[in-house]
Amino acid sequence: MAEEKKKRAITRLESSALVRPLVNKMYMEGTLAGMEERPVAWSMVNWWEGDIIMRAMGVTPVYPENYGTVCAALGIAQKYMGVSVAEGFPTHLCGYAQNTIGYTTEMKREGKVPEGAPMGGMAQPTFMLSSEGYCDARFKWFQSLRQFWNVPVWTLPFPHPAYTDTSLQDVHKVNVEYMAVELQGFIAFLENLLKKKLDRDKLETMLDNQEKVLKVWWEINELRKAKPCPMHARDFWTMMVPCYYLAYDPETLTVYQQVYNEVKARVDNGIGAIPDEKYRLIFAELPPWHSLGFFDKLAERGWNFATESIGYHPPPPMELNGGSDLLYRIARWTYWQYINTRYRAAKMGYPAVGAAQPFYNWAVEYKIDGILTHPLVTCRTATFWLTHWMNVLRDKLDIPGMSIQGDIVDLTVFDAATALNQAPAFEESMDHFRKVRKSKGLDW
Amino acid sequence: MSSKGLAKAEDIYANRAGRVRELKAEGKKIMGYVCAYPPLEMVTAMDYAPIRVIGSMDQPITKADTQVASIICPMLRSMLDLGMKGKADFFEGFIGAHTCDCTEKFCHLYQYNVQFPYYHFLDVPHIAHKASFGFMKAGFQLFQKTLEAHTGRKLDPDRLKEEVKKHNAQRALVRELYALRKQDPPLLSGSENLQIMLSLLSIPIEEGSGMLKDIIAEVKARKDGPKKKAARLLLWGSPLTETSIIDMIESLNANVVMDDICTGTRHFWHDVEMTSDPLDGLAKRYLDDLKCPRTFRETTSSFEEDQEVRFGYIKDYAKEWNVNGVILQSMKYCDTHGYEVPAIKAYFDRLGIPSLYLEHEYTMVALAPLKTRVEAFIEMIS
Repeated sequence: MAEEKKKRAITRLESSALVRPLVNKMYMEGTLAGMEERPVAWSMVNWWEGDIIMRAMGVTPVYPENYGTVCAALGIAQKYMGVSVAEGFPTHLCGYAQNTIGYTTEMKREGKVPEGAPMGGMAQPTFMLSSEGYCDARFKWFQSLRQFWNVPVWTLPFPHPAYTDTSLQDVHKVNVEYMAVELQGFIAFLENLLKKKLDRDKLETMLDNQEKVLKVWWEINELRKAKPCPMHARDFWTMMVPCYYLAYDPETLTVYQQVYNEVKARVDNGIGAIPDEKYRLIFAELPPWHSLGFFDKLAERGWNFATESIGYHPPPPMELNGGSDLLYRIARWTYWQYINTRYRAAKMGYPAVGAAQPFYNWAVEYKIDGILTHPLVTCRTATFWLTHWMNVLRDKLDIPGMSIQGDIVDLTVFDAATALNQAPAFEESMDHFRKVRKSKGLDW
Repeated sequence: MSSKGLAKAEDIYANRAGRVRELKAEGKKIMGYVCAYPPLEMVTAMDYAPIRVIGSMDQPITKADTQVASIICPMLRSMLDLGMKGKADFFEGFIGAHTCDCTEKFCHLYQYNVQFPYYHFLDVPHIAHKASFGFMKAGFQLFQKTLEAHTGRKLDPDRLKEEVKKHNAQRALVRELYALRKQDPPLLSGSENLQIMLSLLSIPIEEGSGMLKDIIAEVKARKDGPKKKAARLLLWGSPLTETSIIDMIESLNANVVMDDICTGTRHFWHDVEMTSDPLDGLAKRYLDDLKCPRTFRETTSSFEEDQEVRFGYIKDYAKEWNVNGVILQSMKYCDTHGYEVPAIKAYFDRLGIPSLYLEHEYTMVALAPLKTRVEAFIEMIS
């Protein structure tokens, strides 16, 4: 008699299954656009700054970064990384970039989508859209692809003001204006390339939808403050995809509303994402896409990941004023996503803790017991602050941290067994610091 | 400091912190800064001696690992380490900059750990569109504001113009010095040159220009310069804060006659244009004229034309300094240089100039395996 399949420890949201067709549709659109020779852009995540504009102009974006996660999850990335190294690119570069470079090399060699490429592959780009935001790979990577694709690369601006800047309001004005002016330049670039005009009414409709999506998605994540936490990080990682790539789409809004309803029902009925929530954790920053089953093992031990991946969380409702022009609206959202934690911290009376501010805010608001960090061999951006964040949480809030070395794409460097062996000791630490926090008058 | 000319540069290079402490004891106000992007003219116009914060290849990193992972740029980790060990205590302030992602993060973490009385962070765009210059200028205006608030006095625009001239004069002297390596054999070795550049980054502008004049006169008259060797090399890549890699190369049958690194030509090469508002000239110079892979250059009609836009100035160096080989070097985990490698290598291939890529760990001990490769490369191009 066949053994009954073991039930997984994480109870995934039923509505998260609605995301898969959206993602499939996104990939299908890219493939179809390529087949029908319609404009395709290879695009970085740009925090809603540029995608919506090119969507409004009939361009179909394809996301090599997301494709990297798909290739990693299916175990194909390793092959493409090898090709990238053979092309002379150093091994420490972004794993997603290496994956794309390898994929592109193969595509050029075969003259078509490479054999075995998942999700129908990525269609040849008409242009590439880079971003200055967050990491250097976001523009250096597409600049590197110029040796394969003789198509233009446009780079979107993304100001990086100081964490400690005391005159944020002045800086905000300069930064948002700069972004809005640059978006005007991006539109001119597109109009020249595509020989058509931007339909501003269409853009406005898409922007209205996008703002609603951001609001619902933010509200869903706010519900995760409940005890027990109703939605695990795994559902977040599944559902962040439409927010970043399809926020313009009314279908995304419908799906997110259903997700909201399900999460709200769980909160109302005291249902957690795992059966017995013993510890509430933050996961920082990007997960091992190739080994997500690891989180079920931790869930069996009562570890519930209540929040994660700060760079990919939606911003709260806008608190900054500014121009109401469409391009200003777009610029303000992107900028607000980057700086909102400092505004909120000041408003809530939290101490300023620099780059650790988002995690300080979260730790207090989500009643966090521990932080699990995941230093990535091929991503400095998602790795640089991890130790600092752990230090700040430990020093300021008596929250312990644990670290597991790994990578977003390279599965050979992730050692789940060792990490699981460390879990009991870390649980003792979380128990100890829970008592310490209580003795200091903190309420969790 | 009693020594002069090349001996002085050697002394400063050997004990950089010692000279900075002397300056502080003499009553100079010292301002630390990172990379080549802070507008030093504004710093000297406020009577500070700007001293570049650099790491050390020969001191083990022990404290910084409690703050940052080992896969981060080893030079930045070293800089943080030295700061945490009290070896940056002569700085009254620190100017950070968004030059690359890791440098930005380093700046905030450095300030968090060392706590300088004054800290300003410059946001430098990665693109050089028309609007970017206005953005850069606005950043300089904010910088001016915080400098003025810290010092309690106004920056005089006429004084700033004078400082621009003073810095341009030093840049002209640097170019004159580099020209002494055009002949074969060069009058100055690559190691000596780097020692001089690192010394200039460690002393006030007036002292540096005086030292350069002495060195130029001394070198022009010297009879004991480098010997003629088979290879005349150009060195490209991430910053070098010690001469060890060049020492290794020049211990072989090669002279390093030119560079494109940010503790060399990148820092000093371009003048600031005199504009009615000096901040306009400064914005152009620091955003556009200064060439570093951290700035995205607009794409053109072909990859080959892109390469000209991105690397054409290095071709000019190669031609003028008559090089027959290029060493591309980058410390591990430097992404901005790492992405550049295949494109720049392909560019030199197209020009018919052989090149060799070396990735190093920013430590003295890891150079032996590289030496074998350089040796083979020199034999090949000889």
